[in-house]
Amino acid sequence: MRPLTFTRLVMNCFYLAVVLFVVMVIALKLGAVPVSLYGLAADLLQVLFHRTALSSNYDLIVIDIRLPRILLGIVVGASLSVAGTAFQALLRNPLADPYILGASSGASLGAILTLIVQPYIALPLAISVVFTPVGAFFGAAATIAAVYFLGRREGLLDSNTLLLSGIVSGSFLSAIIMFLISTLAGRGDLHGILFWLMGDLSTTLQPTLRWVLGVGFLIASGVIYSTASDLNLMLNGEKEAMHLGVDVPRVRLVVYIAASILTGLAVSVSGAIGYVGLLVPHVMRIIFGSDHRILIPTSAFGGAIAVVLADTLARTVVAPSELPVGAMTALAGAPLFIYLLRRKFA
Amino acid sequence: MRDVTDELGRKIQIPQNIHRVISLAPSVTETLYALGVEDRLVADSDYCDYPPEAKQKQHVGGTISPSIEMIASLHPDVVLVTKGINRLDTVNSLASLGIPSYAMDPHSVAEILTSTQRLADLMGATQVGDTLATKLRQQLAETQKRVAPFPPRRVLYVVWPQPLISIGQDTFMADALRYSGAISIVNEPQSWPQISLEEVARQQPEFLVFSGSHMASAAVNIEALAETPGWRLLNAVRDRRYANTSDAIERTSPRIVSAIADLARQFHPEAFKVETPTETDQGGTRLPAPTENAPPPTELKPKPPSAQLDPLVIAECACAR
Repeated sequence: MRPLTFTRLVMNCFYLAVVLFVVMVIALKLGAVPVSLYGLAADLLQVLFHRTALSSNYDLIVIDIRLPRILLGIVVGASLSVAGTAFQALLRNPLADPYILGASSGASLGAILTLIVQPYIALPLAISVVFTPVGAFFGAAATIAAVYFLGRREGLLDSNTLLLSGIVSGSFLSAIIMFLISTLAGRGDLHGILFWLMGDLSTTLQPTLRWVLGVGFLIASGVIYSTASDLNLMLNGEKEAMHLGVDVPRVRLVVYIAASILTGLAVSVSGAIGYVGLLVPHVMRIIFGSDHRILIPTSAFGGAIAVVLADTLARTVVAPSELPVGAMTALAGAPLFIYLLRRKFA
Repeated sequence: MRDVTDELGRKIQIPQNIHRVISLAPSVTETLYALGVEDRLVADSDYCDYPPEAKQKQHVGGTISPSIEMIASLHPDVVLVTKGINRLDTVNSLASLGIPSYAMDPHSVAEILTSTQRLADLMGATQVGDTLATKLRQQLAETQKRVAPFPPRRVLYVVWPQPLISIGQDTFMADALRYSGAISIVNEPQSWPQISLEEVARQQPEFLVFSGSHMASAAVNIEALAETPGWRLLNAVRDRRYANTSDAIERTSPRIVSAIADLARQFHPEAFKVETPTETDQGGTRLPAPTENAPPPTELKPKPPSAQLDPLVIAECACAR
């Protein structure tokens, strides 16, 4: 492991930030409505400095539809990648991804249940607009909490037990979802349900949810970052880390909760976007090494870049129709993963 | 026994007189009731909910995976299915048990009517079918005549708002919109395309169209959308211009004709101004629209709508603007 200097950390993040910025500009420019780069800059400056009403509908499309979606993609991508990095370190398993503990199935089930009951209960407007994402978050949280208690052995978290209980819970919940889908197939709700299984960024969020998502991401990834050195020591084995003074059970619990919150937040607004949380940490590990102090921030940038790029493709390849971004990440992610796998063992 | 070709071109053998049928699709059940042959309907699917009596029939399960055993135990002469809703597996399983199935596959409003006539033929009720089809064609022509002078409204049919799912140009629903004096802004070949909100904001539809089946109420729905970034860019959302109709618009049954008339009234209220309120308006929950309340009685009296078909549709129309 190369010694980490502050300069190296900042420089690496800076490079990635530049890439992210370029990707954002491309994503802002491309779409069903053509926008010039100059017009784009003018709009952004106007919004940033003047806060005046924008002149035309075209500018509003960029500011009100494209920009929020890109920002959502950034937060979701970063959350998934940081959560993936954390779970890979926590479970010491390279196949771990944010959904490995059943979070996505739990979120889907929570969302589907809210979609089923919504027509039958009268909710105030303010609640009904956030009902489904909140339901999804609690579904994910409940699943991850259940997996936590199932995955404990003699009071300690055991990686293998945790993984197995996560996988079993996930498939059990998927079975319930399949049951609900096949019994409800004649109803129109199916469109909304499939969205949760595919992963999609076209949901436009209420402003309050945006704040919850952004602040939640910053706090949870900050917490994970604060354990980066401990995670590094734990890479060489938990006993060794314990001898070096790491409070392993505490680190595991903290990382477990923080990574679960990240996953829950991401999945509750975007459904299950596959491969990002699995692949980005691996790519970043190949480029920047496995020091978590640098891996965590670079993964956040990498995940953001990957999701925004994938979503831009999803929006544009069959415009004016759209593809779910989850289909895009899976299409690109699976071959890339195979490639990395072959290269590693070649 | 006689040979019949169904709408998928499959040749099936069915008894000369049909006494027992099972319907596996809500639209088929509705059509059977409209033809007045419901006494020969021995069972239907869990989702057959119109007319309400259809719910009292024995159910053989959902549309995707009905119980083949239960169907077989009811000894139907023929099982009625639609290509759009039912699965080929179901039909094949039935065939292997020697139970013939007749598939319907209408893709336009005109085909729904001919399809209804063919079903009437199959049931030995040709006369009833012809009368019904003639009446429905008259109603369609009436609606079309009224909306014809006005330019078609450019509308967005909202199947699901988040993500935005609409209907493709080749669906019977897009065709129904054309009959009601509107045209969908979505021009896609898929049946249920996911559309970018951006494209919708660029096109600025004059109306949003919701159907009653899964939106508990469009009124609440549009208030939610008006608060939602992106959606609030649509002039139709800002001005609350939307049409709401029953789920009849999503079913290939004769009832679609009244749904078309209902939508036409909402798209082009001016086309229906000179008209006595029909008896169906009395029990309805229509909001009083200031421009068109209490239209004076005139000689242009529309024929009373078919008592069986209309009331539900009109009752659900709560938003003519």
